[in-house]
Amino acid sequence: MDRTPRRKQGIPEDVPFPVTPMLDMAFQLLAFFILTFQAPTRETRIDLYLPTTPIALPGSSPGQAKPRPNLPAETVLETDLMVRAEANDRGVLKALTLNGADVPDAEALGLRLRRYASVLDGKPLRVYLVADDRLRYEEAARLIGACSSAGVAAIRLADAGDRRSPQQGRP
Amino acid sequence: MVRRRNRGEAKVDVNLTPLLDIVLQLITFFMMLVHFGTKIEGASAGIRLPVAPAALPGSELALDRMVVTIDARGALVVGEEAVQGRMADAWWAEQAQRRRDGLETLGGPGAELPTLVIIRADKDASYGAVRKALVSAQERGFAHFTLVVLRSLR
Repeated sequence: MDRTPRRKQGIPEDVPFPVTPMLDMAFQLLAFFILTFQAPTRETRIDLYLPTTPIALPGSSPGQAKPRPNLPAETVLETDLMVRAEANDRGVLKALTLNGADVPDAEALGLRLRRYASVLDGKPLRVYLVADDRLRYEEAARLIGACSSAGVAAIRLADAGDRRSPQQGRP
Repeated sequence: MVRRRNRGEAKVDVNLTPLLDIVLQLITFFMMLVHFGTKIEGASAGIRLPVAPAALPGSELALDRMVVTIDARGALVVGEEAVQGRMADAWWAEQAQRRRDGLETLGGPGAELPTLVIIRADKDASYGAVRKALVSAQERGFAHFTLVVLRSLR
């Protein structure tokens, strides 16, 4: 006699699917991403490398009667460009020139530098930035940023009254 | 006379599917925004950063970093004090010496310190003040700098 029970033919029972643990894990993940969330910021940076070469040091200490060495500028006419920035008494940019040619603003300076860089065929482009010390830092940062975004390989920072280049660096 | 039928406890089924759906949408949203990169440290309270175009930084921030704040008058902000002139030079010398002493144990620093100096300068500070700060730092052996600016909105 066959005693195996026969399965009932019919509609299968509902299979319970516990959503609660899944929701719990989802909340855990959400909490993690909320806690690690960082609001987007407009901050960015301009990297500068200013090597501590002898040319970068200032002149002799005050009180010592040593003439300032007249260091010859190591310029290469082909790849070195001079950017001069003059400011008025309020620190606003009054005049900007690139190798003697007038440039309206930092954006135009960036465009011209990009054109120079494309013409140089891979040679590193170097810029001497001679700026009035009265110039506002924001204007100077725009000029340095324009050089950086144009692909300038090295920037030398100097003030308008110093013929030497106290600093030499690359962005 | 109306008799109220005892209806008993009504079973309430909460539909969790839409809730789960919204939660997963939120997770996806925050996942898209997550950024595990290095944040430029240092607070800019009281300092208004300049807006300047900048190329994408070429490298991640180094481990050894030092944040320097320059206020609108061009003075170096050390703690809650603003220092200028010889006190600023002395501060740079002290910072450089500390790092050299620390690097002695690792075989001595070279001519240049590997420290990255993060400069947060107010946009109204003069270029001369920032340049002098860079010169002071450079004289003490710091060679790696980064200027923190705000990206232009356009």
